[in-house]
Amino acid sequence: MRLDDPKLKKIEPPKLSLADRFYLPQVAAGLKVTGEHILGVIFKDQAFTVQYPEEQHVPSPVYRGVHRLNKDEEGRPKCVACMLCATACPAHCIDIVGATAPESWPDREKYPESFVIDELRCIYCGMCEEACPVEAIELTGLYDLTGLSREEMIFDKTKLLSVFDVTRDAEPMKFTTPPPAGTGPTQALESPVS
Amino acid sequence: MATIIINGEEYPIPEGEKLNAIQMAKRVGVEIPYYCWHPSLSVVANCRMCEVEVGSKDPKTGEIKMMPKLVPGCQTPAKDGTVLVTDSDKVKEHHRMIMELLLINHPLDCPVCDQAGECGLQDYSYQHGQANHRFVEERTVNPRKDVSSLIQLNADRCIMCTRCVRFTREITGTAELQVMRRGSHAEIATFPGVTLDDNPLAGNVVDLCPVGALLDKDFLHKQRVWFLSKHDSVCAGCAGGCNISVEENKGKIWRVKPRHNPHVNDYWICDGTRYGYKAESAPDDLIPGMFALDKDGEHVATPIDQALRKVDRGLKDAVVDGKVVAGILSPFLTVEEAYLMARYLKEVTNAAVLAIGPVPFKGEDRTYAPDKTKGRSGDTTFLDPKPFTLYAEKAPNARGVRAVLEHVQGSVVEYDDLLKKVEAGEVGALYVAGGYIEGWIDEATAAKVREKVGFVVVQDTKVSALAHKADVVLAAATYAEKAGSYVNVDNRLQYAGASLPPRDGSLPGLDLFAILLDRPGPARSGEVLAELAAKAPAFAAAAGGVIPEFGVVLGAGAPKAEPPAFVDAWFAPMGAAKSR
Repeated sequence: MRLDDPKLKKIEPPKLSLADRFYLPQVAAGLKVTGEHILGVIFKDQAFTVQYPEEQHVPSPVYRGVHRLNKDEEGRPKCVACMLCATACPAHCIDIVGATAPESWPDREKYPESFVIDELRCIYCGMCEEACPVEAIELTGLYDLTGLSREEMIFDKTKLLSVFDVTRDAEPMKFTTPPPAGTGPTQALESPVS
Repeated sequence: MATIIINGEEYPIPEGEKLNAIQMAKRVGVEIPYYCWHPSLSVVANCRMCEVEVGSKDPKTGEIKMMPKLVPGCQTPAKDGTVLVTDSDKVKEHHRMIMELLLINHPLDCPVCDQAGECGLQDYSYQHGQANHRFVEERTVNPRKDVSSLIQLNADRCIMCTRCVRFTREITGTAELQVMRRGSHAEIATFPGVTLDDNPLAGNVVDLCPVGALLDKDFLHKQRVWFLSKHDSVCAGCAGGCNISVEENKGKIWRVKPRHNPHVNDYWICDGTRYGYKAESAPDDLIPGMFALDKDGEHVATPIDQALRKVDRGLKDAVVDGKVVAGILSPFLTVEEAYLMARYLKEVTNAAVLAIGPVPFKGEDRTYAPDKTKGRSGDTTFLDPKPFTLYAEKAPNARGVRAVLEHVQGSVVEYDDLLKKVEAGEVGALYVAGGYIEGWIDEATAAKVREKVGFVVVQDTKVSALAHKADVVLAAATYAEKAGSYVNVDNRLQYAGASLPPRDGSLPGLDLFAILLDRPGPARSGEVLAELAAKAPAFAAAAGGVIPEFGVVLGAGAPKAEPPAFVDAWFAPMGAAKSR
């Protein structure tokens, strides 16, 4: 993009007020916020931290953690190996080997023979989930991803499908079936890795 | 001068060519969408996509009269005074309507369709179509079927352009395909009991298909086309030198597609070329690295520099002993490789005997000569039929190697004559540069060579009988891994780029000879060719080392300026791929 591109929007930084230019009032305002947090923790029990691992953190429902490969009603992977996630992936961490679907799957032409995500390379941006035309890949709320070797952190199809088994009750598929009434946000779950 | 008016602007019509409205508009940068039209097939105008407003300008009064209805651009000749309007609301509305009708029964399975990314329906739907689908009835679903052991037909994706049917009727003349039934029940099918298996050009129907109806089973579901990097190359399978595009991803060749060259292969390649890449990308029988005999007579892996030093010493020792040094240059070497090899051996000793390797022949030449009218079903006015030949001579560069040898040595020594010299025990050191796709030397000949020759160097891609017995084995690059030029059966010099980097442990022949010759810097085929062109009058046409897109005929003077190669709109790179 060139500097004189008409699509470029020029933004000026906001002008400093008198208090901003004196500097010290802003320092005091910052200290006030810090002080409020300290006092909140001491007197009102408003801590943002939790006593992990005794206490488990529950991330927000839009948290992007470990991937899972969704299964359909018959337990087959929903993925059709279109490789759009691999195309969208900015970290190039998804490797799919497509193959012609077995004869016994009449509703489908293609399936992933192998589906590998390098969880260490992944930047958890969620573009794969965004790109997927069949809602087969989703990012779960699992955040405690640990492993003893690099190889262990390269998730294959079996492992990704097992993440679905682990998280299916707490996080139903986002688009196909509406979540059952009364389900709260993601619960703390047993990590499939450790 | 004849002129045509396209969208209100006047353009000159190129002389000596018979163009239709689509081609003429494309020359001046105006795109008329089409599906069923192909420059080498007769015009049937059945997809109705290319319909535009056509009129004519009265040469005397200058008055423009438009035809009341839209006319197919593929059938409209570009002649003096023709008026085309391609961007009016009427035309746009027509394109939108045709797209909607074509897509009525089309399944929405782009994610699993191999054509996605180079699909005419996708491209034109995006440019001319609409986002919603008004058809509420159930779509017709046709089951998948095979039209040959290598080609699958997904009939529900078909838009009935009949390009494939016309190809089998007009180009190969075998007519295996037909349109079965009529109206919305129409379907492409083979005649009962007939398949495309026996048609050596069958793979071309896959390239002709503008949608994902005909698919190559060899490539089926393996890769998405936007992952592939395309490399312009030349087929090494026979003496014809068909222009191909080698498509690779992750260091592996996935498919081979034809490139248009009006003087060589027109728009086609044979299935031997299409699936021949497998022979070159099977790593099991390729020589994995450089080897030399140790004291116990065993082959041990040797670093490249040591192996080359052994080669150099072995050849020079033979000269000191007063023996003949000989070289065998296979017809699979590029012109540049042959030139550097010949120069190196002549540098070792000026008395070196350079022979051309055996030129493999298999079967007989087979020519498909489509006729301008015979077998054609539609309008044939714009056709310029060109024959396509599958040659029995299964080597890409016999003429190039001969020309190089004639320049360096003055004459070409035949392989059989060299074998006689070997048998007589005259040859003290032998440098064999192979590169054959199939085995070229039998066990008995190899044993004889080994027995009579003191020092044998084999530079090859595949393990041969002689490689097991050679003193030094050098791993050279396959045709996909090396860049260089080849001279085809019509003496046309064509450039083939490298599609893959040389595999681990190997080096392209050009680099091996450059090291042996102590040439400074990396060896570039263009520089070597420029050097050869400056010295050898036979290669004068390649002056500067630059070969035009369609190649150049040796000894025929400078080539004429030609229109660019034809590429179907959906195969042309778009967006970011343009600059890749």
